[in-house]
Amino acid sequence: MRAMSAWPPAAAGPAVRAARGGLSGRRVQALVIGLVLLVSTAASTLALGLLVDSNSPFDHAFAAQRGSEVTATAQASTARLAATAHLPGVTAAAGPFPETTVTADVPVTPPPGVSGPPGGGIFQTQLTLVGRSSPGGPVDDLTLEAGHWPTQPDQAVMADVRGPGEHLGAQITVTGAPGSPHLTIVGFASSITQTAQAWVLPSEVAALRAPGAPGVSQMLYRFSSAATGRQVGADLASVRAALPPGSLLGAESYLTVKLQDTSSIAPWVPFIVAFGVIGLVMSALIVANVVSGAVVAGTRRIGVLKSIGFSPGQVVASYVIQVAVPAFLGCLIGVVAGNLLSVPLLGQTAQVYGVGALAVPVWVDVAVPLVMLGLAGAAAVLLALRAGRMSAVQAIATGRAPRPKHGYAAHRVLGRGAWARLPRAVTIGLAGPFARPTRTAITLAAILFGVIAVTFGAGLGTSLNRVYNDLSHSSAEPVQVFIPGAPGQNGGGGNLAKAAPGPGPGPAAPSLAAQERAVQAALRAQPGTRHYVAESDDNIRVLGLSDHVSLVGFGGDASWTGYALISGHWYSGGDQADVNTGFLTQTGAKVGDSYTLTSGAHHLTIRIAGEIFDPSGGNAEIIASQSALAMLDPGLAPDQYDVALTPGTDAQAYADAVGAKATRPTPTPAAPRSSSSSSAWSRR
Amino acid sequence: MDTLVRLTDVSKTYDSDGAPALARVTMDVSQGESLAVMGPSGSGKSTLLNLIAGLDRPSRGEVTVGGERVDKLSETGLARFRRRQIGMIFQFFNLLDDMTVLDNVLLPAQLAGMPTARARARADELLAALRIGSHGDAYPARLSGGERQRVAIARALVNRPALLLADEPTGALDSATGEEIGELLLDLNSSGQTLILVTHNPALAARYARRVIEIVDGRVASDAATGARR
Repeated sequence: MRAMSAWPPAAAGPAVRAARGGLSGRRVQALVIGLVLLVSTAASTLALGLLVDSNSPFDHAFAAQRGSEVTATAQASTARLAATAHLPGVTAAAGPFPETTVTADVPVTPPPGVSGPPGGGIFQTQLTLVGRSSPGGPVDDLTLEAGHWPTQPDQAVMADVRGPGEHLGAQITVTGAPGSPHLTIVGFASSITQTAQAWVLPSEVAALRAPGAPGVSQMLYRFSSAATGRQVGADLASVRAALPPGSLLGAESYLTVKLQDTSSIAPWVPFIVAFGVIGLVMSALIVANVVSGAVVAGTRRIGVLKSIGFSPGQVVASYVIQVAVPAFLGCLIGVVAGNLLSVPLLGQTAQVYGVGALAVPVWVDVAVPLVMLGLAGAAAVLLALRAGRMSAVQAIATGRAPRPKHGYAAHRVLGRGAWARLPRAVTIGLAGPFARPTRTAITLAAILFGVIAVTFGAGLGTSLNRVYNDLSHSSAEPVQVFIPGAPGQNGGGGNLAKAAPGPGPGPAAPSLAAQERAVQAALRAQPGTRHYVAESDDNIRVLGLSDHVSLVGFGGDASWTGYALISGHWYSGGDQADVNTGFLTQTGAKVGDSYTLTSGAHHLTIRIAGEIFDPSGGNAEIIASQSALAMLDPGLAPDQYDVALTPGTDAQAYADAVGAKATRPTPTPAAPRSSSSSSAWSRR
Repeated sequence: MDTLVRLTDVSKTYDSDGAPALARVTMDVSQGESLAVMGPSGSGKSTLLNLIAGLDRPSRGEVTVGGERVDKLSETGLARFRRRQIGMIFQFFNLLDDMTVLDNVLLPAQLAGMPTARARARADELLAALRIGSHGDAYPARLSGGERQRVAIARALVNRPALLLADEPTGALDSATGEEIGELLLDLNSSGQTLILVTHNPALAARYARRVIEIVDGRVASDAATGARR
């Protein structure tokens, strides 16, 4: 206390000296104000910084590359397609560029210390391949990240999301095309709207098309109005109308790509923002409450100050300083804490966007503490003004007891009838809050928001647990038996399909069919088996969608496997399929619609029976019978068996027993289905 | 002697339908006078003092102090008036417990814009005269009742006010300490300080005031000189 007497200097204003006295006399109050502002400022800085940074990298790159607002795939003449560049509303266009989807093999050598097939393996992947003579253009001005643009027919530039085995000079084999031509990777380029996974010279595309694949072209557009999905839809409608009916095979909005790009942080940003807003409101209420408490507790003091000559303005100044000092310190430390907390989170975001480093924008660092200080200041000013306007006599009297008449009615009511049976001490306590109704209301509001925050947090935890259960299917199918070496085991955009020729002979692996027979026999023989079904997984490219589509095929009734249906029903029959929300978003289709998928020379028309809950890393996903999906992807084969157990069966013991009976398969208790974007083998 | 305080037909009503705390009071107080206002509890004597100090406003009538119409002043004007004209002593001292004795005494001087060195010198002089000079750095909570009232008197006098108002200044003190405070007030008056003292103690009024007004039910019941020594 003695040390504080040295500040402020004797020459400082009386309001400052009175504020200093108030601060030193009410340290706990000052500490609470400071802590409330600290936490609120930190949370708000973090939330706002993440919100801004989750959008800005895409927007900056999109502007710099003059990104394609609509990427259309159509089967029409070059002249008809070129004419669409002059449609009303089209501000820029590029193309037509010849396009096809190809299956490619990339040789892979496992890194040192990582087990793999002897001599390495082959990474099999599907690519949307576009023919362009140069990376530049009025739309989708590609950024060449490494190497050079193709100068001869057997060269390719790959999208800069490097899959296994993809490096400058690597040779990939296009397996579906006649003669299985080879392409040498000569460069890597990035397209913000992911218009292709590989580019070659336009003259090369025809030679890379699989037999029977349609001769389609890609057109890239920018429009005068394309800020919303509705506007993009209208723009697309004008393009569709200008082309022969049915020739527009697919089109993708940049908004969809943006949504996918921001999806890594999008799910939790709303929660952080919600917490930030709740924190903001709570801090305002708590500050108002604490300040009102300070004013009420200090009302007698205000009366004394006025009696010795303080003007209302000086009283207000004194109390605002009393709040502003801890609030300022709280905001200052809070903004630093918010920036520190954002480092790991923004680091992850920067990695997703490949933009180097992200930081909380300077304007956020300035705006958030100013707003928080403003809130605290406003609460202080309003209450101090009210107190400052009281006469000194009234202030001194009010400081000793609540103002007369406040709460009288409550006291009267609580003193009569059934209430009178309660102990008097209780009824006095119950009536007490009515003596200061405003303060009681603020306290109630703060408690309300606190309860909301707790409920929100607890509910979020419960929801995430439910999401985990729905995604892992751990309740419905507690055991999954994987078949090593089967296609689809890598879970990503490609498969480690086969061993490359090795230097010497190795032990002969049983065929996939033999493994399947062994698994089925083991499952039939094992007590505790309730249901089982073969599951086939693959990721393929289809025309009109920038990212791959996940296929999940079942070899029998799989309605029990635990997929949560958002709408519609489980598929039945070979022409029906269930799809995830990502599929509906990217294609614009609805439950009940029929949709035709084209991959290479293969087509499949499905009727969408239901929408399932499976984010699948933002990718489209189709669940149908294996036989139906094989029409689109002939290589689709079972890679695992999903098993439901009879009640009381121990999943781990069951998995161990099945593992002992089946020679090669590796049964495991169910774990969350990994999304393709989390796989090291994924391709965007 | 010049008139320092003039109340003309002053009434104060707290509740619109209640009885007035003061009813049509008219009185003058001259410069250098020592006046005791007496009456039973709730008679209106503290209300009278508050109206003169500008701590409250009359419901009707005029209050003039040092030629200034107090009832017409704004809140800021009243604050300025109190700084320059009024020194006030309360029954329960009303010191700021979070400030030292010296800071309590200095605060009105700083409000009045007195230069720092002069204010400090004046505060030291008062604390010494009131025999609490050694307590300058102490906080009021550590002082006895009598010492606190001395601090309150020092604070009231630091700006050399034209009028010193004392509301039951000995009411919270034991009789010996109360007598000391009474002697102090008497000394101040002897040196020319105008004093209005509210008390319900007739002996105190008779001993330390030269004139006594008695208020009953908000009205001046009597106004008489005493034989108090000067």
